Amino acid sequence: MLALQSLSKTYPNGVHALELFSAEIRPGEIIAIIGGSGCGKSTLLRAIAGLDPASRGTVTLDQEQITAPHAKIGIIFQEPRLLPWLTVADNIGFGLLEFPAIIRHNRVAHALARVGLADKAEAWPRELSGGQAQRVAIARALVPRPEVLLLDEPFSALDAFTRKDLQDHLLDLWADTRPTLVLVTHDVEEAVVMADCVLVMRPHPGRLFEQITINLSRPRDRNAPMFDTFKRHVLNALDRSLDRTVPDAQVRPEASGAMWW
Amino acid sequence: MTMTIGLQATQPSEAIVRAASAPRRLRVLRPLLGLMLPLSLAMAWELVVWRGWSNGRLVPPPTRVVATIAELARSGELTRHITATLIRVGAGFGLGVIAGTLLGAVSGYWALARRLLDPTIQALRAIPSIAWVPLFILWLGIFETSKVALIAAGVFFPVYLGVMGAILSVDRKIVEVGRSFRLSGPAMIRHILLPAVLPAYVVALRTGLGLGWMFVVAAEFMGASEGLGYLLIDGQQLGKPAQIVAAIVIFAGLGKATDWILELATAPFLRWQDNFSRQDLSRQGGAG
Repeated sequence: MLALQSLSKTYPNGVHALELFSAEIRPGEIIAIIGGSGCGKSTLLRAIAGLDPASRGTVTLDQEQITAPHAKIGIIFQEPRLLPWLTVADNIGFGLLEFPAIIRHNRVAHALARVGLADKAEAWPRELSGGQAQRVAIARALVPRPEVLLLDEPFSALDAFTRKDLQDHLLDLWADTRPTLVLVTHDVEEAVVMADCVLVMRPHPGRLFEQITINLSRPRDRNAPMFDTFKRHVLNALDRSLDRTVPDAQVRPEASGAMWW
Repeated sequence: MTMTIGLQATQPSEAIVRAASAPRRLRVLRPLLGLMLPLSLAMAWELVVWRGWSNGRLVPPPTRVVATIAELARSGELTRHITATLIRVGAGFGLGVIAGTLLGAVSGYWALARRLLDPTIQALRAIPSIAWVPLFILWLGIFETSKVALIAAGVFFPVYLGVMGAILSVDRKIVEVGRSFRLSGPAMIRHILLPAVLPAYVVALRTGLGLGWMFVVAAEFMGASEGLGYLLIDGQQLGKPAQIVAAIVIFAGLGKATDWILELATAPFLRWQDNFSRQDLSRQGGAG
């Protein structure tokens, strides 16, 4: 269980980015965090990753407090951030440096096959397209088999077709070991197609505004009427989150019932 | 219709052959292109002297310079002078690179060390090389030590600055990847910082080597009895311009050759780079 307890973050320059954010995320659950610019989505993700700990509050994973990067937590950034001096295979194996070579080799070969880049094992990152590079980044993050995988707008720089392809592909990979996914996104359709639960944040300071459970079966049909209904509901929550006249909603963990109106 | 199909079938293969042979042609032509300017100037000057438009006394024609080099080689003097200079440059370059790399890495990695060391080193960098000569002679004597020290001082500053600047400019996002995989300090240096600074380090080494060749002349002016710098002084004192030009030509050849060796030795480690020259070449190759 990943538990976020009253997380607040104030940067040294005085910017109050996050205010009393709490959530409990069950193992294997996919959570999407969505909100307007500056609502602290990435700050929250970095705090969970242990890259930039919160000023107040705690992040605990299976009762263990997270204050620094942890072996059970992986992260995929907005840009692939591949190491340009390593081949694709070496980039994927980067998180397995302490493993014996044979285990590293096997796991990398398996990951390359799973992301459909077996023929690119010896290629340099500069030789990859944007979509291929992000696939390598996904494989690199998944190869150490993290219990929690954080994704910071991982598909935002890609074209619509590649984005959709990678969303489906990520869900396919997720089904292998079912890690907990925490996805930060700007894309409502992406949130609805991927997440079990969408957390809508509002800015200044960043805080939780509404929690929407997406109880659609997988694989999800993007053209289904219910899919569209969930999209509209998330969009509506987003609109209200940015309206300063709307007070903070009473967040209830089991708000999914509200969807069946 | 048949004609059209026939044309379509032949055109791509010709294009592929042209594209494939273009890089090969370029590889052969590129060094020759670099030689065109100096060879043209030399031939033009040879022609000027041969036609009697100049007596070539102060600026000797290439044939006279080549004859001087051949004479020096025959007598064994050339090998002696080149060896002496190469040993000095090699020793000075080695010492300068070691010191510049260590201090540059320390200053780049630790902010406190940078605040302590960098202002002094930058102030020392502003001192003209020739200003060190009397002090080095006083401290280290007139023989080899002072010469090597002067060359090392010349090499040190660009290497120091290159290493420190390269470390400071390593992409924070790449370092964050290392952090997210919980790399220890030494592992971060080995797997992230060293490869990231390598391209800038190679440039710093090449700049340092170039300065090493410049400083060896100043060093060999300090009462040397052998070396290419000595040949320059000897040529000036005995009024032998052909010997001066011969020494200059050999300096240029050796400088270029050592730079080329350094470039060649480091090229395998930089194959991953996605830089302008690579794009430029592939575009030229594709265009045929």
